[in-house]
Amino acid sequence: MNLMTQSKESDSYLDTGDDASSSIKASTRDPSMLSELIAKRSFRASQNLSNQTSTVLKQRPAFNLASKVDEAAIPGERFLGILMLESKKLMNLKAPNTLIYRSRLSEERVNRIKPRGSRNWGQSPISSIYRFFFLGFDYCNCSDSGPSSSPAAMSNQKKRNFQIEAFKHRVVVDPKYADKTWQILERAIHQIYNQDASGLSFEELYRNAYNMVLHKFGEKLYTGFIATMTGHLKEKARLIEAAQGGAFLEELNKKWNEHNKALEMIRDILMYMDRTYIESTKKPHVHPMGLSLWRDNVVHSPKIHTRLLNTLLDLVYKERTGEVIDRGLVRNVTKMFMDLGESVYQDDFEKPFLEASSEFYKVESQEFIESCDCGDYLKKAEKRLTEEIDRVGHYLDAKSEDKITSVVEREMIANHMQRLVHMENSGLVNMLLNDKYEDLGRMYSLFRRVTNGLATVRDVMTLHLREMGKQLVTDPEKSKDPVEFVQRLLDERDKYDKIISTAFGNDKTFQNASNSSFEYFINLNTRSPEFISLFVDDKLRKGLKGIADVDVEVILDKVMMLFRYLQEKDVFEKYYKQHLAKRLLSGKTVSDDAEKSLIVKLKTECGYQFTSKLEGMFTDMKTSEDTMRGFYGSHPELSEGPTLTVQVLTTGSWPTQPAVPCNLPAEVSVLCEKFRSYYLGTHTGRRLSWQTNMGTADIKAVFGKGQKHELNVSTFQMCVLMLFNNSDRLSYKEIEQATEIPAPELKRCLQSLACVKGKNVIKKEPMSKDIGEDDLFVVNDKFTSKFYKVKIGTVVAQKETEPEKQETRQRVEEDRKPQIEAAIVRIMKSRKILDHNNIIAEVTKQLQPRFLANPTEIKKRIESLIERDFLERDNTDRKLYRYLA
Amino acid sequence: MILCQHKLSRSNRDKLQQFVAITGASDKNALQALKASDWQLEAAFDVFYSQPQPRSNDPYSDMILAEGISVLCSDLQVEPQDIVTLVLSWHMNAATACEFSKEEFFGGLQALGVDSIGKLQEKLSFMRSELKDEQKFHEIYNFAFGWAKEKGQKSLALDTAIGMWQLLFAEREWPLVNHWCDFLQDRHNKAISKDTWAQLLEFARTVDPALSNYDAEGAWPYLIDEFVEYLYDKSVVEK
Repeated sequence: MNLMTQSKESDSYLDTGDDASSSIKASTRDPSMLSELIAKRSFRASQNLSNQTSTVLKQRPAFNLASKVDEAAIPGERFLGILMLESKKLMNLKAPNTLIYRSRLSEERVNRIKPRGSRNWGQSPISSIYRFFFLGFDYCNCSDSGPSSSPAAMSNQKKRNFQIEAFKHRVVVDPKYADKTWQILERAIHQIYNQDASGLSFEELYRNAYNMVLHKFGEKLYTGFIATMTGHLKEKARLIEAAQGGAFLEELNKKWNEHNKALEMIRDILMYMDRTYIESTKKPHVHPMGLSLWRDNVVHSPKIHTRLLNTLLDLVYKERTGEVIDRGLVRNVTKMFMDLGESVYQDDFEKPFLEASSEFYKVESQEFIESCDCGDYLKKAEKRLTEEIDRVGHYLDAKSEDKITSVVEREMIANHMQRLVHMENSGLVNMLLNDKYEDLGRMYSLFRRVTNGLATVRDVMTLHLREMGKQLVTDPEKSKDPVEFVQRLLDERDKYDKIISTAFGNDKTFQNASNSSFEYFINLNTRSPEFISLFVDDKLRKGLKGIADVDVEVILDKVMMLFRYLQEKDVFEKYYKQHLAKRLLSGKTVSDDAEKSLIVKLKTECGYQFTSKLEGMFTDMKTSEDTMRGFYGSHPELSEGPTLTVQVLTTGSWPTQPAVPCNLPAEVSVLCEKFRSYYLGTHTGRRLSWQTNMGTADIKAVFGKGQKHELNVSTFQMCVLMLFNNSDRLSYKEIEQATEIPAPELKRCLQSLACVKGKNVIKKEPMSKDIGEDDLFVVNDKFTSKFYKVKIGTVVAQKETEPEKQETRQRVEEDRKPQIEAAIVRIMKSRKILDHNNIIAEVTKQLQPRFLANPTEIKKRIESLIERDFLERDNTDRKLYRYLA
Repeated sequence: MILCQHKLSRSNRDKLQQFVAITGASDKNALQALKASDWQLEAAFDVFYSQPQPRSNDPYSDMILAEGISVLCSDLQVEPQDIVTLVLSWHMNAATACEFSKEEFFGGLQALGVDSIGKLQEKLSFMRSELKDEQKFHEIYNFAFGWAKEKGQKSLALDTAIGMWQLLFAEREWPLVNHWCDFLQDRHNKAISKDTWAQLLEFARTVDPALSNYDAEGAWPYLIDEFVEYLYDKSVVEK
């Protein structure tokens, strides 16, 4: 096909040359061959082809090749010749330096371009067709000189001795030439529009148009083509207008396709005008002109314009309400808008479409929000959104996607955001409460599309979380049991972790919001540090029994999460130290590994300083073991009688409670004395004081009917019980006098001995729950127990009592003072001069990992440092502090 | 003499008066005896009567002490508790109240260009006027702290401080001075640090009595912050 048309093109140009100037004679040409070629060239060929499938595309190369002549798409020399002819005419043979030279076209090249299908070529020597003389010109002044400046022409210029006279040739122009030619063309255009183009000769029409331009009738040709086309389009518009109902769009589409086809043919015919006349006069090219004529005469025709738009919008509306429409048709029409230019698409279709959509969704969202709960609404909104994206894919321009989705987002989500989030019984809070991961995920993915959407969700979540957390930590009922209290916190955390990871795509901002909320409410309860430590205590005492190491780690990690939220980490440290001390001293630790693992975690979190004392406690335990071995090694006689196990605790590492002195039973105090002298003998310069409040004792007891039991009791309880070796009946006062245990401790220990069911080794008179100062105590002879070993716990409120709490608080405050001062001095030492607000800020920041420093306290410390001449106030600016080295 | 007695607590002041009344000793000697015996009257009598101070070893030999000052005051015809004595001490750059060393006294007189009691008396009105000078008042105020405090102490006893404030703020109007003194006795009851002393004048100078321009973040000593709270609590000032 391609080669065929190539040959046609080349011939037609040769012919053009013949007709126009008759300066070149293809003398050897066989006339029959020529006529055959012309017949082939006729429009019928292309028209027939075009009637087959994918017509437009296949047709194009034929025309296009013709159009590329000037661009030397087809081998050079022949077109050089033609162009020279054109130029000669254009220049009216002004060039004086005309030469004749022989074509250097080799036979090979001719063969290469020889059409395969034309047998007739063989009748005459092919080479001779092309071996005619070419005229060479000096093209220097010629604007259309592209391919002409071939090396051959250039080299010939130098040989001026070949100069010969130019042809004398006069062109006589028929005065009616223009009108005649135009009539031919006009008729052709009519025929094209009437789809009767099969009889037309493209070559002839092209030549006519070409000649018109050549003879300076470009203007006539141009206006003529516009007028003719306008006429046809008006006619088409009338036909389209006449179409009824559903046929309207189809008619429009059909006419549009026809126009397109016709326009393409016309453009090809007028190709030469397109390239020369229009180019030089800067008028719109034929094809764009054709499109704008269509736009002005058809699309913008008053009877079509609104009807078209309404039809389209109606179709979209129908589809939205569930009807099936001809998407292909709509697609073609929107494609037409696009072909007419993006602005036409936007102004004539997209804008009204978006407005209509906006209106539609406004109404619909209002309906939905009145009738649906939040979850259903979101489902519907999501469905609508995917539908619209789908719609764009099917029959709208891809650029419309963002616009239409933003309309849906605005109307369906942004405008109802607050209402949706706060919807009663189904809004965000409800979803959070009921773990509706799917709905939450949907809300997240929809709300993230609109500005402030996520912020709204996050704010509501934060608010809810804070409110919920606040209730959780401040409800006195819920903070009764510290272990449960912390477990609840952990559960909440797990819950929100899961929500954020499954529904909110692990969004960092949500994680931060959740973290800050936890931090906020955990610190609302000043007892949180104590409770968290108690929780750990509980886990390490018994909770972790039989749990795999991996799971232990998981629990500890979770506890560390909570620990991170604490602002008063030093308070936690205080309690942790106390609880750890109790665990270690009573040997109640379940797993040393778990203990150490937690210490390591605390160390990584808060640094060496934080845990050094805790680690010191472990060391003390180890050293004490060795000491005891040494003690019994040096006192072999002690293997009989009571055994004493002493743990030597380094002051400072352990929580120091004021040592409560009490009178130990004689048997024990003798032993204690022995140990004291042994220890002080090996370690000089040390002071030992007995921490009777921390010890335990195992004592064997025989009750009334000979029941033997081993009782595990505290040191105080031991002191009390030992008294009953000498008397059966003791009053509270007598016990108090004999043991000198401080009243609150004594009451507690008596309570645990006498009032706990199943462990009441002594009886109290009168029977009551509380210990009175006038109570009497006797040994409970009827004591029985299933177990040989009976552990008598002290009735310790696991939580601290109010005064204890106050005391711890005070100790913490006292401990903070030197830390604050140290921080101030550190900062001032490096900064030398700093203003008040900055120093407060820096100190707060520096102490943050341990506790939240109170600004008033910092101020007091600053003043104290001023008084002690570490700092001074600046003389002129009283807000500035200077460091005094 | 008020200025002198400010540094003594009330009970000690009574003891001093009693001692003077009984022994007829000078204030200086009475003070010495009482201090030596740790403010026990009986013991002080013993000290006073058994070992009268040998004049030659007296470290105060070339100093004007309380006695001398009261003579000076009567010569100048001013009350000893007159604030002008503070200004005079300031000119002399005296280290402690109720005392002038020879150097301080001579240096001060030279600076004032005074060589007779008459000329010094003439200077008194000038000295009084100096209190009206903002800058000089500031200096005198700050001088007063070191001057009035007990030797070797870092801070100023509350009684003394309150007395000084009453005196100083009589010269320079500050409507809150009585509330301030009440507040200190009510809530604080401790000695006053130099910083608090100095900052109070700043506070009185820069913050208006309605506290409209008070800045809680303004680096005021915490005592002043608490005072502000106190004023709000007592509804002395509307928040």
